[in-house]
Amino acid sequence: MTDYISRHTASGNLFIPRLFQGFPEIKEALISNTMQAGFMVAPMAMALWSQGVPIKIVYLGHRYGSAFVVRNNGPIKTFPDLRGRVVAIPTRFSDERLIVFRALKKYGMTAKDIRMVEMPPPDVAGALAAGAIDAFSMGEPYPAQAEMGGYGRILFKARDLWPDYMSCVLVVRQDMIDKRPEAVQALVDGIARSGLWLEKGRPYREDAADFVGRFYYHQDPRLLRWALTNPLDRVMYTPLTPFKPDFELVRDLMLETGTLDHSIEFNEYVDIKFAEGAKSKTAWAYEPGGLEAR
Amino acid sequence: MNDSRKVILGVALWVGAVSALHLRLNFDWSVYLNDRLPESQRKLNVAYIPVT
Repeated sequence: MTDYISRHTASGNLFIPRLFQGFPEIKEALISNTMQAGFMVAPMAMALWSQGVPIKIVYLGHRYGSAFVVRNNGPIKTFPDLRGRVVAIPTRFSDERLIVFRALKKYGMTAKDIRMVEMPPPDVAGALAAGAIDAFSMGEPYPAQAEMGGYGRILFKARDLWPDYMSCVLVVRQDMIDKRPEAVQALVDGIARSGLWLEKGRPYREDAADFVGRFYYHQDPRLLRWALTNPLDRVMYTPLTPFKPDFELVRDLMLETGTLDHSIEFNEYVDIKFAEGAKSKTAWAYEPGGLEAR
Repeated sequence: MNDSRKVILGVALWVGAVSALHLRLNFDWSVYLNDRLPESQRKLNVAYIPVT
């Protein structure tokens, strides 16, 4: 979205968006320096940093926007009904997996009670429809896809069990932060402005669904419209500043569930200065369907 | 023109047309050209996934 609106500004664009279909591929592209920045699930970014990959988390992509989905009219009516069933997650290094652990704990269950399988996000809705899985824990718009298709229903949203839930974060390679901080700041500023723009109301979200669906996600705009407006706070784009307590919660859950082998400190894997620099930014001056932005 | 020449010409035209279409439709020229700029002038390649 930032890219689309940036293209309509006189100052132009400082980055090239590249579409991936899975988080592991983004991880490899960052390690090899094919990508200098990327959006990925927070636990994966933290695990990569702890393993010595030279990246930092600089901003969030959104808040909320993940849900646990089961088959509509299927045998799963409550979470404990999932005993012995198959649940898809995007990767073991994901907040969507951690939310499953939170649910397991809430209902007095353990990871041995279900079978978690990793699956690329674009595949989960089809797998649920085909009966290959019994449930999935995933970010939007895949819960919306299952709802719209009539074969899935949301058992619970991530925010129901995790009030300040966050999922995707923006990571940047350390060499970019060192050599081109102005470019990183421009990227973070653009995301901050896009977030504020989206929070201006329904027409803005509907316009974003249209151009992001057609030009970026290559998905039916009606699907994104559903995910972004049903209801309006289904996915939130402010505040996107990384907060220490949010990341410490993720770290502790990762330690508890075995995806992090030692404790790491917020100030080491997060570079907060770009988020601080973006705090005074205002929403893009771009009207839905407009041709110019400032 | 004998038959073998016609076949060779046809294959060459077909390969040329498919290659031109591939370069027009599938090849990301912005990435290719960006990677050839001096590092200080390059745009950042930003990876994203179709998840909100």
